[in-house]
Amino acid sequence: MSYPELFAIASAVMAILMIGSGRLRINLLFYAFQTVFASAVTASCGLVSGDHQLYSIGLAILLVKAIGVSAFIAWITKRIGVTSDPGTLIPVPLSMHASIVFLVVAHLLASQLPHLKGQDHSLGGATAAISLLLTGTLFMLARKVAVSQIIGFLTMENGIYLFALTQTRGMPMMVELGILLDVLVVVMIAGLIIFRIKRSFEHIDVTLLTELKEY
Amino acid sequence: MNVGEWLLFAAVLLVVPILTAGTIRKIKARLQNRVGPPLLQPLYNVVKLWRKGETVSEDATWIFRGAAVINLAVVLVVAALLPWVSFKPGLTGDDIFLFIYLLASARFFGILAALDTGSPFSAFSSSREATLSLLVEPAIVLSLVALALGAHSTSLGSIFAYGAAAGPAAAPVWIVAGCGLFLSSLVELSRMPVDDPTTHLELTMVHEAMLIENSGPNLALAEIAYTVRLTFLYGLTVQCFLHAVYAVAPVGMTLLAVLSVLGIFLLAAGTALLETVTVKLKWTRCPEFIAYALTMGLFACMAAIFRGGV
Repeated sequence: MSYPELFAIASAVMAILMIGSGRLRINLLFYAFQTVFASAVTASCGLVSGDHQLYSIGLAILLVKAIGVSAFIAWITKRIGVTSDPGTLIPVPLSMHASIVFLVVAHLLASQLPHLKGQDHSLGGATAAISLLLTGTLFMLARKVAVSQIIGFLTMENGIYLFALTQTRGMPMMVELGILLDVLVVVMIAGLIIFRIKRSFEHIDVTLLTELKEY
Repeated sequence: MNVGEWLLFAAVLLVVPILTAGTIRKIKARLQNRVGPPLLQPLYNVVKLWRKGETVSEDATWIFRGAAVINLAVVLVVAALLPWVSFKPGLTGDDIFLFIYLLASARFFGILAALDTGSPFSAFSSSREATLSLLVEPAIVLSLVALALGAHSTSLGSIFAYGAAAGPAAAPVWIVAGCGLFLSSLVELSRMPVDDPTTHLELTMVHEAMLIENSGPNLALAEIAYTVRLTFLYGLTVQCFLHAVYAVAPVGMTLLAVLSVLGIFLLAAGTALLETVTVKLKWTRCPEFIAYALTMGLFACMAAIFRGGV
């Protein structure tokens, strides 16, 4: 098993551990770990392929997504005064076990994909990427609080990023940095929207937002 | 049978449990700015309790008297079977499922004794204990089965034998299984996130309320059994982590022996730290914590399956 593969799987495992807690701070902590591992995948891909641009992208991901975004969302949750998410239909521990099943499904799907020649980390990378995508989707579906929706979205974004990174021979640096900026802006806007929802409804429970129709 | 090895093992079994329990108490006290009891306080407690008279409930039958002895006997048998230090001499028939059922039977007799006294506190705490053991058993089974898959054997002796170095690829299975076993042993031993071992509020306690009717020699037996259980469960976790180290960099047997005893104390210190910084979980949130132990077990199984291609 190569280093990019190991880090990618570790990132997927962190996402699965993230989904098992109802505490928003713990979710954010595991999101940060997951992103740190994603940036480690980037750096180790750069080490394998000899592409030095990947180091600076890895560093940018570490600073912007792992530290900046996590700290920003932590600040939002503190401002709003929300600490935990009770979850919707699926109990929180069960959603963690369901996402382990998704990891197995992801492995089966990834082994069907064509391999990139000369790149030995595409199987583990694809497994982790699809698993992150499914875990993020489940996280968005199984949670009530709007902050969780942002975290789930960011997890999915990590999955898409890892897929692009491990299944291709790398994208131009400008494209990667542009995506990073997009993510940052999306999180900022989502944060503002959460403040607005909180002010209008005095809660941020997304399952009750359909009440909007009645007014 | 190798008499020298057994004598060394027996000496360690006599000394380490007392010191482990003492270490947890001492470090916890120091972290809370207290001087704390001496390191040998568990031993002094047992000696003192042994001399005391006891009060037994009028409703209690021979089950209550017998359970404490049975508990200690079962725990000692497990300690002799389980390779919780690297130098434990091997025994035949040390199957993982025997270990799991012996642990369960010790718990069964504990619950039976608690119910036998007719005290409502012990009754509800035994119901809680039964719930916890029900939840945590799959996690222990999965972690051990993952290790058994790697060794192609269910004998504890051969799973935990230090043979040829398996290579770095084996390390993740050992680490994840070790984490799973550590989390489950916190639940199994009724330690902090699930139950507060120092609480004296009957409504919140689990393990302590089961022992609430015990006094004198009976309580001494229960305390000895608890410290031995603490030691071998921590020892098993330490062995998992040591195997991960061994897979990457093989070390000598003497160093392994020293490390496996030191590791138990290190884990005890870690527990003391954990118990200082965390609070007890609300009872309804305990399953969330135990789910993590189960997840670790599942991860260990997956890693073992992908590695071994079963």
